[in-house]
Amino acid sequence: MRLRWKRLGENTLFLSPSIVLTAALGVYPLIWMLRYMFYDYAGYGSPLFVGLDNFRRLLRDTLFWESVGNTFIYAGGKLLLTLPLSLLLAVLLNGKLRGGNLLRGIYFMPTIISTAVISVVFYTIFNSYNGMVNAALMKLHLVSQPIDWLGPKHAMLTVVLVAVWGAVGNYMLLFLAGLQSIPNDLYESAAIDGANAGRRFWNITLPMLAPVAQLVVMLAIIASLKGYESIMLITEGGPIGKTEVMYLYLYKLLFPVSTGSPVEQQLGYGSAVGFATAVIVGTITGLYFLLSRRMNKLD
Amino acid sequence: MKAIASRTVMWLFLLITALLTLFPLLMTLSGSLKTGAEMMTGGSLLPARAQFANYAEAWKQANFARYTWNSAFVSIMVTAGTLLVAAMAAYVVDRRQFLGKSLYVTTQASMMFISVGAIVLRPQFDLMVVLNLNTTLWGVILILISAHSSTFFMLIGFFKAIPRELDEAAMVDGSGFVRTFFRIILPLLTPGLGVAGLFAFRHAWNEYILPLVFTMTNPKLQTLAVGLANLRYGSSAAMQIHLMMAGACLSIVPMLLVYIAANKTFIQMTAGSIKG
Repeated sequence: MRLRWKRLGENTLFLSPSIVLTAALGVYPLIWMLRYMFYDYAGYGSPLFVGLDNFRRLLRDTLFWESVGNTFIYAGGKLLLTLPLSLLLAVLLNGKLRGGNLLRGIYFMPTIISTAVISVVFYTIFNSYNGMVNAALMKLHLVSQPIDWLGPKHAMLTVVLVAVWGAVGNYMLLFLAGLQSIPNDLYESAAIDGANAGRRFWNITLPMLAPVAQLVVMLAIIASLKGYESIMLITEGGPIGKTEVMYLYLYKLLFPVSTGSPVEQQLGYGSAVGFATAVIVGTITGLYFLLSRRMNKLD
Repeated sequence: MKAIASRTVMWLFLLITALLTLFPLLMTLSGSLKTGAEMMTGGSLLPARAQFANYAEAWKQANFARYTWNSAFVSIMVTAGTLLVAAMAAYVVDRRQFLGKSLYVTTQASMMFISVGAIVLRPQFDLMVVLNLNTTLWGVILILISAHSSTFFMLIGFFKAIPRELDEAAMVDGSGFVRTFFRIILPLLTPGLGVAGLFAFRHAWNEYILPLVFTMTNPKLQTLAVGLANLRYGSSAAMQIHLMMAGACLSIVPMLLVYIAANKTFIQMTAGSIKG
C-alpha cells in the first residue's frame, strides 16, 4: 500500500509539469475557442451569446472563401513544385555522387533558417525596382524589363517560390531516407535482366518508395495548408487580397497588421474561423489518408 | 557520348539548384555590406566596397544587441525547459503503467496535429496576464515549452534503447526513483537530449508569430525575428535596407554555425523521423 502511494507520488511529480503546461496552454485554448465561437466578442467588454450567428456570417463571408481558394492555389502550387523537385534531387543524390554530402548539406540549409527572417530578405530581393532578383535576371539577359514580382499578377507565384525554396530540402531528405531503405540487390538483378535506368525507376524505385512517399505527401499537404508566416511578411496577403490565405485571414481577425486591413478584429467570429480552418485542414488530411489506404488495398 | 551528355545535364541541374538555394543567403551577405544608397538604387549584386560598419550600426543603433540577447535567452530557456519537461514525462510513460496513460499519450499526439492557427494566442495571452508574465519573456518561454509533444515522442524512442535492468539494478542498490532518473538514466540519454535539444533550439530561435504578438507593446522584449520584421514595416524602411540585411545575417549566422557543427545530426534525425 505504501509502495503504491509512493509510486503514484513519483508519477505525479514527473508528469505534472507536462500535464499542467499541456492542459493550460494546449487544451484550454482549444476549449476557449470552442466556447467563444458561439459569442459576439470583440476582445473587450462582455461577450454576448449569439448561437450560430458566427457560422451564418462565415458562410456569407466572401473574404474567407476567397482566402480558402487562395490557400488551395498556394498549397497546390507549392506541392506541385516541391514534391517532384525534391524527389528528383533525392534520386540523383542517392546515386553516390562525388560531393553528394556537400550538395545535400546545401539543399537542406533553408530548413534551419528562420522563415520570418528569410522572408524579410525575400521581400527585399524580390522588389521590382531595386531588388537583386531582377538585377540578376537582367544581368543574365533572361529578361529585358524588371518583373513586378510583388504586383497583383505575380505575387502568388513569388510567395509560392519562397515556400518551395524553404521546403525542398526537407522533403528531399525524407525521400532520400526512403530510397536508402530499398535493398540494392533489386536493382542489381534488374540490371542483369537488362532493365534501363528509366524502367528501374518506374518498376522498382516508385513502388518501393510508395509507403514513404505517402507519408511524405501527407506531411507536405498539412504543412502547405498551414503556412502563412512568410506571406504575412512578404505581401501581407496583398496586393488586393491576391495572396490572402485562410490562416493569415484568421490572424488579421485577431491582431493588427501594418497596412490598414479592412478586416475588423473579432475574437468570437475569429474562433469560428479558426474552427472552420481546422476542420478544412482536417478533412483534406483525412480524405488523403483514406484515399492512400484504398490505393494500398488495390495493389 | 550519351552518358556524358546525361551526366552533364545532371550536374548542371544539381549545381543550378544549389546556386538558387544559396542565392538569397549570398544576397543577404552582400546586402549587409552595401551602403544604404547602394541598396536603394539597386542594380548591383556585389557591394562596391564592403561596409563592415553596417554591423556595428545594426548592433548598436538598430538595437540588434538587445534582440540577440532576447533571442538567446528565450531559445536557451525553451531548450532546457522542453528537454526537462518532456524527458521526465517520457521516462514515466516508457517505464511505468498508470491510470490515464493512453489518454495522456493520445492528447500529446493530437497536440501535434490539431491546428487552429493564431486563435490560441489570445487565451494564452490572457492566461499570462493573470499570471503577471505578459511583461516578461517568460510568457513566451512557457508557451513554447508547452508545445513539447514532438520532443516527448522523440525521447520515448531514446528511452526504449536504455535497458530497464539498469533502473532495476540502481533501485536494488538503494537509489530512489528520482535519483535514478537524474544520476543514472539522464546521463545515458545525452545523445538523445542533444538531438532533441537541437530541434527545440531551432524552433525557439526561429519562432516569429508568438513573440511578435507578445511584444507588440513592449519593444524591449523583441527577439531577432520580430525586431528585424519591424524594420521592414518601419517608416524609414527604405533607408535601412542595408541594416535589415546586416540584422538578417546576425540572426542567420548563429543557426548556420550550429548547423555546420551538427549537420549530421540534423540530417539523420530528419531522415529518422520518417522511418519511425
